[in-house]
Amino acid sequence: MNSTAVRSVGTPSTRLFGLLAIACMTWVVVGGLFFTPADLNQGESVRIMYVHVPTAWVAYLAFIVTGVASAMFMFGKKHSLGFDRVAGASAEVGLMFMAITLISGSLWGRLTWGTFWEWDPRLTTTAFLFVTYLGYMAVRGLGGSPQQRARRSAVVAMLAVLEIPLVHFSVVMWRSLHQRASVLSTDGDIKMDGLMLTTLFVGVIGFTCTFAWLVSHRQRVMAMRDILLATQLDSALNERIAEGSQS
Amino acid sequence: MDLTPRTSADNAPLAPRKRKTKWGYVAVLVLIVVGGGVIVSRFLTSAIDYYCNVDEIGVREGCEADRRIRVQGTVEEGSLAADSGTTNFIMIYNNKELAVTYAGDPGGIFQECIPVVVHGRLTGKVFEANRIEVKHSNEYVADNAQRIDDAESQACSPIAG
Repeated sequence: MNSTAVRSVGTPSTRLFGLLAIACMTWVVVGGLFFTPADLNQGESVRIMYVHVPTAWVAYLAFIVTGVASAMFMFGKKHSLGFDRVAGASAEVGLMFMAITLISGSLWGRLTWGTFWEWDPRLTTTAFLFVTYLGYMAVRGLGGSPQQRARRSAVVAMLAVLEIPLVHFSVVMWRSLHQRASVLSTDGDIKMDGLMLTTLFVGVIGFTCTFAWLVSHRQRVMAMRDILLATQLDSALNERIAEGSQS
Repeated sequence: MDLTPRTSADNAPLAPRKRKTKWGYVAVLVLIVVGGGVIVSRFLTSAIDYYCNVDEIGVREGCEADRRIRVQGTVEEGSLAADSGTTNFIMIYNNKELAVTYAGDPGGIFQECIPVVVHGRLTGKVFEANRIEVKHSNEYVADNAQRIDDAESQACSPIAG
């Protein structure tokens, strides 16, 4: 094999996800900024919803993927590191989306509520979820072998995922400044203008495809890093053996 | 990478590890989660709730009239008045009214017939607010001329929640 050859990390599925993401994001940007109507009460600020809501949903999805992949690593017979890499990649990408959720929500809050931040149940539990997954990433970086890393982080991930229902239902369980869910409401009645709802759904698809594209690439890069680590270990062992045979 | 040879103690054969059942841990975890959920949802509600409703002042625990509180209600139609830099209005919830005075202009999307949360203290029968937050609903309605006409023709109805 030619040592200078560059191996692509793209596959037909990642290219499909990438193209779908571009198409959906184009719709969201153009539709969200120019074609969807302003809200009767919130005015133009409602357009932040097309970023805020999909990124929140995708962050939930990312953390659920992390939890499920971690459980598959822990309870699977082979304890495959592939699951651990998917878990880690998904958590990284989920953190990025959660950060976007927090920032866009803060801007939206300033325009509608009149404040960037309040320690109300939804905002507090969301911040707690974000910090928990920062902790998860710190646990992943503690060192040790890939198997040790996978076991430690899987335990944290399986506990952390339990926070998601708490965040989602915080606006139902307690009185919150944050409004209740419009689409995933418990009464099943969607209270949203048709074009707004369509753009929101396209945004969810677009951000989900972006998530899938990023995680696919990221977990492959993590696999390469593990292979590199194993290769370095092999070469270090060979050097040690060579030293031993000379003495 | 540290590949220092192991000492003799390190090279001692490892005893076969017993495979412990994980069901005990699962049961403990389930107990913690359920117990935590019950505590948070049943016993900490008054502490975590962000606001009291207008009709709960002096009635509900945590909504005492002699302390600084946050109160939620809807700005009553026709009650909003600005007077030399002070905004006065009446908040209503469950047919209970509360007169509110705020030094300044709330700004933003503050208006009549919209649910708000006011921070402050009750002085006599007037609530002196030093902060007002608009609590918008989960309804998203297109802003067009017809909708505005419809909205203006309808009576102001307080939103529960």
